[in-house]
Amino acid sequence: MNQLWVTLRPHLPFMLDGFLLTVFACTLAIIGAVLIGALMASLRTSGNRIVRGVAFAYSDVFRNTPFIVQLFFFFYGLPEIGIYIGAFETGVIALSIIGGAFVSDVIRSGILAVDQGVIEAAKVSGLSRWTIFTKIVLPIALRTSVRPMGSVLINMVLTSSILSTITINELTGTAKIVASTTFKPFEVYLVLLVLYASLTYALSLLINTVHRRLNRAMDTGGAA
Amino acid sequence: MSNTPSENRARFGVPEDSMVFARGVRKSFGTLDVLKGVDIDVPKGSVACIIGPSGSGKSTFLRCINHLEKLTGGILLVDGAFVGYDLRKDRLYEVKDNELCQRRAEIGMLFQSFNLFSHMTVMENLIEAPVHVRRVPVEQAKSEALELLARVGLSEKVDSYPRELSGGQQQRVAIARAMAMKPKVLLFDEPTSALDPELVGEVLQVMRDLAETGMTMVVVTHEIGFAREIGDQLIFMDGGVIVEEGNPREMIANPQSPRTKEFLSKVL
Repeated sequence: MNQLWVTLRPHLPFMLDGFLLTVFACTLAIIGAVLIGALMASLRTSGNRIVRGVAFAYSDVFRNTPFIVQLFFFFYGLPEIGIYIGAFETGVIALSIIGGAFVSDVIRSGILAVDQGVIEAAKVSGLSRWTIFTKIVLPIALRTSVRPMGSVLINMVLTSSILSTITINELTGTAKIVASTTFKPFEVYLVLLVLYASLTYALSLLINTVHRRLNRAMDTGGAA
Repeated sequence: MSNTPSENRARFGVPEDSMVFARGVRKSFGTLDVLKGVDIDVPKGSVACIIGPSGSGKSTFLRCINHLEKLTGGILLVDGAFVGYDLRKDRLYEVKDNELCQRRAEIGMLFQSFNLFSHMTVMENLIEAPVHVRRVPVEQAKSEALELLARVGLSEKVDSYPRELSGGQQQRVAIARAMAMKPKVLLFDEPTSALDPELVGEVLQVMRDLAETGMTMVVVTHEIGFAREIGDQLIFMDGGVIVEEGNPREMIANPQSPRTKEFLSKVL
């Protein structure tokens, strides 16, 4: 144990940097994914067939292709046609896009599950379609979506390790470097596993807290 | 524009004091004819109770009044005006969304399942439509909401969420929410059918109070006692048509049609 500490200690600040970069990238990507997901879910329940089709195509394309291929396409492919964005930005955008595709699925089922009676009550009081959607349907759908969205967001954190393949020194990236300089892959990757586990555990605690806060009003307690 | 109450009154022979006026209202879902020509007159300030077996079309008729269902045929006027349609050159055209919203705002509706906005407090439920549809200032909407809550006896529940209330309390909040829009007429779709028996009374009491203030009400109900006591008019529907209508007390005591007689014998 002491040996492990002595070996790893000099590299910890470097790995901490990577850890923080992972947290930063995931925070941005999760915000992006929830925004994209809410937007796409709304479009997928739109009355306009073309709008609905585009939104469905988006989620189908990104859910049915490997993330690493999407990432390479954005990072190596887009510059070919003149679109240059930095590695970090590419990583965050790609992660937001695939996360958004899965989040939109969750929120869409949340939207479809909103009680028709409640929507009718809103209609008969004269509320416009837009107000009904933004003030009644979407808020209720988001509340019931928090829990199922949790597993999508946790998956995004795990997927963020793939960003190391496009030169981003996030947690996995730094660990790879430390492992190859110390020749201690067993110890380094063990630490890495523990770090990812604690990160996702913290995220799931956060999601539970958000769920409880938002659902104080809702009678979905155990059922959601 | 030819959907002004005065023109419609002249054209269709609508009585001056009419609140809900239906002539030959038909509604089909595919090949299923749910309403086969319904004529109803509900004068202002009166209470009409509609009874009938399930599947008789009474709820569908109620939903036609505020255009939750489009009509297949016939005309339906509320306070002399069409709700979901405009009459142009002898043809009815469906109105645009925002126009429909403004007209619906005049007609309150209560549901069997209360349908409160579950993510909002009682206060938020009450001010949502006044603020967004009528553009009432928030402070004014709140003070009006407090008055309404006092009327339905739920002042202390102003910050509660719907799920923290009993069914009876939820329905009373729903009534207050409908009243917050100062509607011309209130439609009730079996308002007490989802309630435990001991909670029915408190909701009926609120409805009784409303009727006494001169509110026009159309009530689809199974509460024959309520219909007899409060109703000015009793309508028995079966198979998509009105079988019998009249004064509730006389009709219940002495039904003319054998179908009415049979139905009443089952529910009384």
